[in-house]
Amino acid sequence: MRTLTLSLTAAGLVLGLATHANAQDSIKVGVLVGYSGISSLSGQQTDAAIKLFQKRYGEAPGGKKIELIRRDTTGPNPEVAKRLVQEVVTRDKARILIGPDFTPNTLAAAPIVTEAKIPTMVIGAATTGIIEKSPYFTRTFFATPQQCKPLAPYAVKNNWKRVYVMVADFAPGHDCEKYYISTLTEAGGTVVGNVRIPLSNPEFSAYMQRIKDSKPDALFIFMPLGEPSIGALRAVNDSGLKASGVKILAVGDTTDETYVDAVGDAALGTITTGIYSTQHDSAMNKEFVKDFEALNGKSPRIGWTAIAIWDAFRLAYDGLEAQSGSSFDPDKFMAFVHGRSFESPRGPITIDKATGDIIQNIYIRRTDKIDGVLQNVEIATLPNEGFK
Amino acid sequence: MTSVLTVLFNGVAYGMLLFIMSVGLSVTMGMMNFVNLAQASFSMLGGYTMVAVTQKFGIPFLASLPIAFVVVGIASLVLERLVFRHFYGTDDLTQVLLTIGLIFMSIAIVTYFWGSTYQQVSVPAWLTGQQEVLGFTLERYRMFLVVVGGALAFVLVFGLERTRFGAIVRACVDNNRVARACGLNTQLVFALTFAIGGGLAGLAGALSANLLGIDPNFPLRYLVYLLIVVSVGGMGTISGTLIAGLVLGVGDVACKYYVPQIGGFVIYAITVAVMLWRPHGLLGRRA
Repeated sequence: MRTLTLSLTAAGLVLGLATHANAQDSIKVGVLVGYSGISSLSGQQTDAAIKLFQKRYGEAPGGKKIELIRRDTTGPNPEVAKRLVQEVVTRDKARILIGPDFTPNTLAAAPIVTEAKIPTMVIGAATTGIIEKSPYFTRTFFATPQQCKPLAPYAVKNNWKRVYVMVADFAPGHDCEKYYISTLTEAGGTVVGNVRIPLSNPEFSAYMQRIKDSKPDALFIFMPLGEPSIGALRAVNDSGLKASGVKILAVGDTTDETYVDAVGDAALGTITTGIYSTQHDSAMNKEFVKDFEALNGKSPRIGWTAIAIWDAFRLAYDGLEAQSGSSFDPDKFMAFVHGRSFESPRGPITIDKATGDIIQNIYIRRTDKIDGVLQNVEIATLPNEGFK
Repeated sequence: MTSVLTVLFNGVAYGMLLFIMSVGLSVTMGMMNFVNLAQASFSMLGGYTMVAVTQKFGIPFLASLPIAFVVVGIASLVLERLVFRHFYGTDDLTQVLLTIGLIFMSIAIVTYFWGSTYQQVSVPAWLTGQQEVLGFTLERYRMFLVVVGGALAFVLVFGLERTRFGAIVRACVDNNRVARACGLNTQLVFALTFAIGGGLAGLAGALSANLLGIDPNFPLRYLVYLLIVVSVGGMGTISGTLIAGLVLGVGDVACKYYVPQIGGFVIYAITVAVMLWRPHGLLGRRA
């Protein structure tokens, strides 16, 4: 009996040592996105992007094997996100975080990752200024002004000077409304009216009637991903607003590739701002789209979450390569990330040296049908748009 | 004047949509006294059925509507025999918990089979765009909804509520033992009523998919509207559900048009006001 116990203990010790030895050359990366409920699509996009990235670039950048810890944030739930970040950081000992998604979740994570010195990639939150909440934050997504400002001067330049502004009635919508209206007024355009639409709103006809009454040249729309965007674009079409010659301008979320097919032909001709379109004309993107579809299938289509995750992994891998052979140092990692420029399938991007926020090209796109599929076709490029 | 009438028409069309959406719930909850929140899931299933048969088998949209009714009706009958019938006598809370659980299960099942993205819903060209009617430009699909909703209300009031079958259902609910003693097959009556309620929900899902979209989260997103319409209309009355749908629809659209700042809030304000004024709903039977 005693021998058995002894040998078991010995075996245990050996196993323990082995795990310890492995820990030296592996690194845990927490991936916190929505895997269930309304945001489960982002989880799907995340996994698909990671799968392709690791297939291409291996699983051990700089000699450190990546161990992924996936957690479901379940949507914009700061209390859940906070608990998950705490668990992943203190119990699972993750050294790098991708996510959590959504602004409230990101804000909830800030104090924890600052104290524990965990480099964190913001991949699903667009609010301005949140990156300054922690020196360990960096962003591979976009900031609201990048999406909301460019269509104001664009409208004026095309002589659509009278614009009606329609936003969703929640904080990001109010932000976007503010940026759009101030930029439009500066550029010499006029706001002929504005309306804030409740997030849960199956009925748009009254708003469409109001917009028609004010006879604008163009309508600017900010709606969150999913059903509100589909509803808004369909209403714009069904009410005859678009047919009456009003130009439809919108942030890119509205015609996101992951559900633009559900909008159908009602989306045609919408002019949007965007950070990424699968139609982007570069050798890198063509290869990315081809490999992505070969590995993950054509449906669901590639959306912005996939591209944000892709670039977050690019930064993480490059940062780990740079520390090859030594143990992981979060401060060196952040110093490496800050000021870094690289080419992504979306085009060139730069991480701001001072803040860690993202500077990138913004594309003006028009929704067209190409080979029978609705696509966001880039028609103009605004290089190196800042995040303020 | 034109805009007033256009707003009124849009309100009536929205009201008809609300009526169509909630009438299935009104049947099971009102006539059978069973709180079946999973009606919203039946609607989703109807929407998916419509999408599947129109896209996979090329069946025209109009023909897909009765198919959605029958498929979901049969599905709800199966569920009634397997699950629901064991809970007829239980209290409201048990029924609410059971059926909300079923909603979550339905979301997971639909995600498994169809994925989490939105489905492409296409209706025939003659139902899209607009049409000049007596000098007004009206949306074709909305006119279609008004016609279908009106017909549905007529059929249900005179074919279900004011008939012998309607009386039998009420007798079975109000006093099950006496109804059985009189020789009524209460099991069969309940099963049939349940199937009709489920079928109506399925039809509603197929009809509303064009306006509301269809994705796994459908039941949770629209459940609250169903409950509002049924409560405002009153339990156990189909004409009440119709009136509630129209009042809420017209109120919602008109307020969104004239005072958009508070427009989205009005539907809830009307609900609270009606509930304070008539706790059993506009045409509700006193419990």
